Amino acid sequence: MNRARIGTLLATLIVASALVGPLLVPHDPIRPNYLVRYAAPSAEHWLGTDGLGRDVLARSLAGGRVSLAITLGATALAVLLGLATGLAAAGLRGLTDVVLTRGFDALLAFPGFLLVLLLVTILGGGVWQTVLALGVAGSPLFFRLVRAYTRSELRRDYVLAGTALGASRARLLFRHALPNFLGALAVQAASTAATFLLVEASLSFLGLGVPLPTPSWGNVLQDARSYLTRQPWAAMGPGLVLATAALSLQFLSDGFRDRLDRASR
Amino acid sequence: MLRFALTQTVSVTITMAVVLSLVFVAMRALPGDAAAILGGLDTEQAQVEAIRRDLGLDRPLLAQYGAYWGQLLRGDLGSSIRERRPVTSVIMDRLPVTLSLAAFAFTLSLAVGIGLGMLAGRTRGSATDGTTLAFTTVGLALPEFWLGFLLILLFAVQLGAFPVIGYPVEGDIGVRLWHLTLPAVTLAIPRAAQIARLTRARVLEAMAAEYVRTARSKGVAPRGVTRHVAANALPGLLPLLALELGGLITGTIVVEQVFGLPGLGLTLLGSIGARDYPVVQGVTILAVTVYIGVNWLADLLQLVSDPRLRFE
Repeated sequence: MNRARIGTLLATLIVASALVGPLLVPHDPIRPNYLVRYAAPSAEHWLGTDGLGRDVLARSLAGGRVSLAITLGATALAVLLGLATGLAAAGLRGLTDVVLTRGFDALLAFPGFLLVLLLVTILGGGVWQTVLALGVAGSPLFFRLVRAYTRSELRRDYVLAGTALGASRARLLFRHALPNFLGALAVQAASTAATFLLVEASLSFLGLGVPLPTPSWGNVLQDARSYLTRQPWAAMGPGLVLATAALSLQFLSDGFRDRLDRASR
Repeated sequence: MLRFALTQTVSVTITMAVVLSLVFVAMRALPGDAAAILGGLDTEQAQVEAIRRDLGLDRPLLAQYGAYWGQLLRGDLGSSIRERRPVTSVIMDRLPVTLSLAAFAFTLSLAVGIGLGMLAGRTRGSATDGTTLAFTTVGLALPEFWLGFLLILLFAVQLGAFPVIGYPVEGDIGVRLWHLTLPAVTLAIPRAAQIARLTRARVLEAMAAEYVRTARSKGVAPRGVTRHVAANALPGLLPLLALELGGLITGTIVVEQVFGLPGLGLTLLGSIGARDYPVVQGVTILAVTVYIGVNWLADLLQLVSDPRLRFE
């Protein structure tokens, strides 16, 4: 089985568990139940319960929805921001190009995690704020990619031919240049999504991302940290799923790249 | 080459100016009123206004911006609200922990990353190569803090070989390193994976070159071939290494939190929580300066170590 297949399979499993899982587990992921605090794994609570008596499995599954949604949203935002600005810079050139390039260079001059941290602090914690912070912090990479690809595509002969036939600038950019590097964007997008997943978890772990009591993989693990030595299993389940999710995205990215390499040969 | 180095330096200076201006804007965008926070609870409006005047926060933004640059150029980062002392002295107190941790982690990731990458690249398709590939794939997918949990559970709780959390205020270098080992390994694993991945790719590229075929056909020993390959492959790693090293000054935040190490990262988090924005600003300025500086150094080093670049 190649990496793309494994990646697709794992990603499907994880997305399905996040979508369907919360419907199958009969426990509320948010409401405390003080009668069963710190319960060991049992038939009733597969991963035990946390310090507020909430089912860890229910919280992990519900947290998956939040973490995956943030990752998906932030990746889409980063790609769209990069596409819009990158196409504008390469298509319009001149001052637009200089200003955009300098601006994104300045963002790239921040260590990535610090930039996300500052943005989240400025925006305040929350699901949408995290999406915005990750999307903005991730956009310089896509800007550079789109700008470079568009510039090289615009130098090709088919663009000259298109211009001679009277095709508009927009048509050349969107209908002709863009489809040629969508594959390369997909490779980067999947890899960026893997990073975002881990960064979002770190933010929530630090208490700066998704605010409690809404569960996300990061803050479920933050809970687990406080009773790690007493109940290591509470940290194992969500951590393993988080790592597997990141792995599946990395596999998808590698798989896309292999396919592209084969296609270009 | 001198000209190239000069343009590079001018470009870095511009970037630095833009970035420090961004930091100024970001700090003014942070939520909360610095004067009210400094005054604390139960402060009269008049007192808050007096504090605001003292801090110069009542002046026009442009004047504040000028004052910000004046302070920066004098190496003055203002005073911590929480600790009521200069930000520079707060940073100096915490910097050694973070620097030792970063240096320890970086050394580990260099040794393991380059070692594994070279080995895997030279023995393509072997079991070693496969194992390295598995390590790099998994290493990149592990959340740092969770990796920290695993190491704590295994080496600190089960085996009792290392302390669970904390850092000695006093103690000789051995004790300190002992406390930093698990955090450094936590930081090193994903970075080593990244470095090994790129090293392997660079080595494979270099191995495909014709001089390798020539060297082999004239009977150069494998060790000699490795030396040639390394000389060609390793300078290409410098940009990645600079990113990793420069990022470590704040990349330690999560791990400092997991292991309770009183470094810059914990200070930054605590200051964000307490709205002690002068410290947030000071740590941010230090982090971006180091990050940009290290990347600039790497560019120059690459120029020195790879003569081919000098003619481009």
